[in-house]
Amino acid sequence: MASRDEAPKLSSSVKLVLLGEAAVGKSSLVLRFVNDDFQENKEPTIGAAAFLTQKCTLPSRTIKFEIWDTAGQERFASLAPMYYRNAQTALVVYDITKPTSLIKAKHWVSELQRQASPGIVIALVGNKLDLAATADADGGDVDGGDGGSRAVLTAEAKAYADEEGLLFYETSAKTGENVQSVFEAIANAIPESTLKPRGGAGGFGGSGRAGGTGGGGSGGEGVGMAVNLEDGVGAKEGCAC
Amino acid sequence: MFSSLLQKATAFITDVPPASPTSPTSSKPTKTTLFRNHFRLPDSQTPLQEITCELTLPSGDHYAGKLYLSESFLCFSPNPPSSSSTASATAGIGFTLPLCAIRRVERLHSRSYMFALAITTWHGVATSTSSSGGKEERVTLQFVGMRSSCEAFCDRLKRGLRSQMGEVKNLRILVDSCYSEYLLGNSGGYDGVKRSTDGAGADESRKKDRDPPDAGLGMIFKYPGDTRKLRDRSKMRLWAEYLRENGRNVTLVRQPTFHKLIRVGLPNRLRGEMWELSSGSIYLRLFNPTMYRDILQEYDGRHSHSIEEIEKDLNRSLPEYRGFQDDEGISRLRRVLGAYSWRNEEVGYCQAMNIVTAALLIYMSEEQAFFLLSTLCDRLVPGYYSKTMYGTLLDQRVFESLVEKTMPILWEHLVKSDVQLSVVSLPWFLSLYINSMPLVFAFRVLDVFFLEGPKVLFQIGLAILRINGEELLDASDDGAFISILKSYFSRLDESAHPRSDNEKLRAVTRFQELMVVAFKEFAGITQNTIIEQRNKHKDAVLSSIESFAKRTQLRNLGPDSRRLTPEELSCTYDRYFGVLYERQGRLQMIADEMEKLATKKRAAAGSGVGGNGGERGRVGLGPTTGETGMDYDCFREFLTGIAKWAVADSVASTLAEPTQPEQSGFFGSYGGAAAALQRKNLLNPWGAGNPEPADHEFMKRLFRRWDTDMKNQLSLGNVVSGLASVVGGKKDIMGNINYWFELYDDDGDGKVDREGILRITEALLFVTRRGDVGKSDGEEAEWGDERILSAVSGFTRMCFEYADPDRPKEEEDIIKVDKEEDEDDLLELATSSSDEDPLDTPETISPGERSPTTPVPKDNAKANLALDPSNPLHITLPTFRMVILADEALERFFERGFAESFRLIPGSEPQTTSANPRLMARMPSTPLTPGNAKGLRGVLDGIVDEGMRVAAEVRRRMEEMEDSREEEGEEGEAADAKSIKEGDRDLLKGAEADIQEGQGQTDELHVEKGGGSKGEGRSRSVSYGDQVSSGVVEFES
Repeated sequence: MASRDEAPKLSSSVKLVLLGEAAVGKSSLVLRFVNDDFQENKEPTIGAAAFLTQKCTLPSRTIKFEIWDTAGQERFASLAPMYYRNAQTALVVYDITKPTSLIKAKHWVSELQRQASPGIVIALVGNKLDLAATADADGGDVDGGDGGSRAVLTAEAKAYADEEGLLFYETSAKTGENVQSVFEAIANAIPESTLKPRGGAGGFGGSGRAGGTGGGGSGGEGVGMAVNLEDGVGAKEGCAC
Repeated sequence: MFSSLLQKATAFITDVPPASPTSPTSSKPTKTTLFRNHFRLPDSQTPLQEITCELTLPSGDHYAGKLYLSESFLCFSPNPPSSSSTASATAGIGFTLPLCAIRRVERLHSRSYMFALAITTWHGVATSTSSSGGKEERVTLQFVGMRSSCEAFCDRLKRGLRSQMGEVKNLRILVDSCYSEYLLGNSGGYDGVKRSTDGAGADESRKKDRDPPDAGLGMIFKYPGDTRKLRDRSKMRLWAEYLRENGRNVTLVRQPTFHKLIRVGLPNRLRGEMWELSSGSIYLRLFNPTMYRDILQEYDGRHSHSIEEIEKDLNRSLPEYRGFQDDEGISRLRRVLGAYSWRNEEVGYCQAMNIVTAALLIYMSEEQAFFLLSTLCDRLVPGYYSKTMYGTLLDQRVFESLVEKTMPILWEHLVKSDVQLSVVSLPWFLSLYINSMPLVFAFRVLDVFFLEGPKVLFQIGLAILRINGEELLDASDDGAFISILKSYFSRLDESAHPRSDNEKLRAVTRFQELMVVAFKEFAGITQNTIIEQRNKHKDAVLSSIESFAKRTQLRNLGPDSRRLTPEELSCTYDRYFGVLYERQGRLQMIADEMEKLATKKRAAAGSGVGGNGGERGRVGLGPTTGETGMDYDCFREFLTGIAKWAVADSVASTLAEPTQPEQSGFFGSYGGAAAALQRKNLLNPWGAGNPEPADHEFMKRLFRRWDTDMKNQLSLGNVVSGLASVVGGKKDIMGNINYWFELYDDDGDGKVDREGILRITEALLFVTRRGDVGKSDGEEAEWGDERILSAVSGFTRMCFEYADPDRPKEEEDIIKVDKEEDEDDLLELATSSSDEDPLDTPETISPGERSPTTPVPKDNAKANLALDPSNPLHITLPTFRMVILADEALERFFERGFAESFRLIPGSEPQTTSANPRLMARMPSTPLTPGNAKGLRGVLDGIVDEGMRVAAEVRRRMEEMEDSREEEGEEGEAADAKSIKEGDRDLLKGAEADIQEGQGQTDELHVEKGGGSKGEGRSRSVSYGDQVSSGVVEFES
């Protein structure tokens, strides 16, 4: 924990938040990444749980991900701002066998783009690649998503990700496929400038890079705990809608 | 060891200081609510009688306090129910006795008291016959008070007892399902573990052969924890002793030992029952003996969103417990969660409920868990699992403020290091510590929680922070914060003072230390503290939830929403939910009021409802009913805020207005019956001070058009899409014309029939009747007004003139016009039409010059020709377009006027809330051409009214014809055709006669006109008979 400042190599702590519909495999991705493990029946995340890990992919620096895993059920959405505040990067996860989960993911992306720290690195991740029994070709007709095979085409999601400037991966937390790559890609994508030791809330608020129309007001919004938030400094208040 | 624990536990209880803060709260719970909460009674109960009383128990213990009587319960408590008592009554001395559990009440002769009753309970008798050797155990109550009040109490009690006799059968079922019954029924066989091993030979009772009642999955899959370490046997022995002396399940009397026994942890097999008892959920179960099964049966196989979400989580609810790796456990969980989601669809299912319910199921039957879950969600932690989770967020805010108050240094540190406390504490509260601590400890917390209420969650939370305070002060970010607490929870079973020399101290575990700190150091945190804090923070929390909801909802509305400006969207959102929730609350209030009036007996009970009444009507609280959309009436109300034409002309008009739609046949009985019923019942359905909405067929069409999901309800998305289609961005005039055409093309075949043309006419007049639509900036208002009027008149006429007959070969020339629709033609048509029609150039004719009746026969004749039902006709979109474009005013109306008649942003133009003053003000402000205006309106009215009347008549005759045809069969066809012609001719005569006789003063005529314009219709008609002044007078009436 305390190693952050002592490390000889440039070491930075990066806050990462996972968002996405319930049961798309957010917690499983984390479990795979952190412990290289998989559990068939993972307890649903209530609120959030944090994990910590080290990542040394880059020759020049070490990145320590501080991972915030959130609850996926719709009604927990209003708690999310409390978890993604100050996050430098976000993993928005959907389930490639469930088209609705991609819609939800898109909602999260736009929420983050407007409400989270400016410059947040967002990765769109289609999970449960192991269930994509068949190839992309006939994925379209499987719409019910009854645990069957792929229902979201890679191309479709990729196109969306490109349009929004997101990193994009399809993964399987079960087999571990691509899981490392996602985190490595994120580590690479985080701009040097934001890799200052965390906690300097002034850095975020002060910079005032009014990312979205309503970058402001993210502090405490939806959570009712504005008291100890400092990042509500953003641009014009007004509703972000 | 155990006795030392007991000692300690006693210390906590006796040390509880009286509640200090007594400042009045803004929304104080009512006496009834307090009473219910205090004794954990179902919502049906109200305090009917109370009397000061002394209670003497069979054991000889003696308490002074108050006795209360409700419909089905007799309750005793030494402390009056109040929000400031440290805990609910179940945590105090006393009893909550269902009347049906009273076997006998005797009046005792006592020297010192005027009144004394001896009560024999259900179990009193049972005990006396089986084990206690004939000694009848009675509870003695000595009343202190005036004779009259004593008598009144007794009288009421007698009546109550009689009325509750029917419940005895339910009581029997309930009692049989209680483990305590089984335990004591085996007289002396208190040790569950022992009995299960050497079952047979021990006791004489027949009950020994009976299977024990379901005490949860633990009976099959073992209870969590080590029974020996938990001292389950000795606990069971102590409980058996207590229950034998003080009654059990429904007849239990609470003495201080009861609380001590709970504080040290309940024994496995009694845990479920004691949870039920201390939370009061047992009473729900008593009075609803078949509810759980009924729900399961009724909803068997049904699907819902909640059911889907439950399915997702079934395999991941306490998966570490063996019972939930098994089908048995999973299916129990599925049934209980499913049943609750049906019982309370507003809550449905929320993650964390699966964990809580799974925990309950380890110790209790499905049915017990179902009612305990209900009590939990409805009363103990209200709003925790709701759609907006406001209860959770609110309690987090309350928790933070308590931390700030009790541990200012830690709080300051948290703020300084930008750690958000609720990130850590929210899961504690939401899952009642069940997945934060090892299960055995979480259950200990639950034991006290059900007994003493939600304050326990706060006390434990504060204690956790206090104990870890030193370490937490070193943590500089939330990650570190979390890991400190995580490791703390994992070591709860270790010694709290491992290095102490004192052996006793070394034996104290960290969990015991936690309990001591929670209940001793934070004893000052009472239920009252929590209520006060909740009231204080409620508004802020709700508004932040609301602003979040608004932000996300608006963003996710879809592409249509981009056609409105952000500000327009925002205002639409506010208006939508404002109307929706205000209306729901209003209707609820009115319904309550009606109920109160209906059952005077319940008038007193009604006041209890008020406790919740204030909770309605906020987005943050989530929907108050299952209904989440706008029905037609709500839509009308919504429109009044954004379009002036949607405001009714006078209060009388809409209330008295007959329902046009029923006549039209277009909508069948759509909404009509319900709306009429409502209208009859409601005191003021639109709320005091709100404008009264009009009810015009046009509004119904809009509603139906916007209701794309065909649910008879408009969601926010529907409304936004609907608005986008009429006011949104770059919509061209052609688009708007198409829109109107489609609105009236009922079967979508590209034709609008005679009926439709008349309705369009009517709608145009309706929308423009306020006179401020479609004028260009430079124009004088009234001029624009009149232009529209004449234009509408011209519209009707031209429509009929250029309509296509349904048998096209007969009139080829008109079809030709249709086909060669280019600009030259249009121009020509436009000029020619205005040549033909003097109405199109009203400025040139002064009202005085024109005889009021002259233009009418002419128009009428034409209209009537077109109205000939034997000659069906229609207009097509190109015709419609042509007719619109032929008139400048209409063109302007479709280009901008209609869209501009919607004002989504309040204040963008000063708007009067009430229509009437505005109308009145308008009258004298037009002194120059009042007669003219009136005259024109009158003429138009004549046309429209007449048209409508004739149309109605035609329809009637057609229906008659239809009927007679059915009767006569095909043979009668020729005769029918003839009769139509004749009938029509009669009709025409009648119509003309009507007009000549001073223009439609008959009520019948107005009855047929669309709602909302009735009042105006009348005034117009009056003024038509060039009585301008009388017209104004009419208006005011």
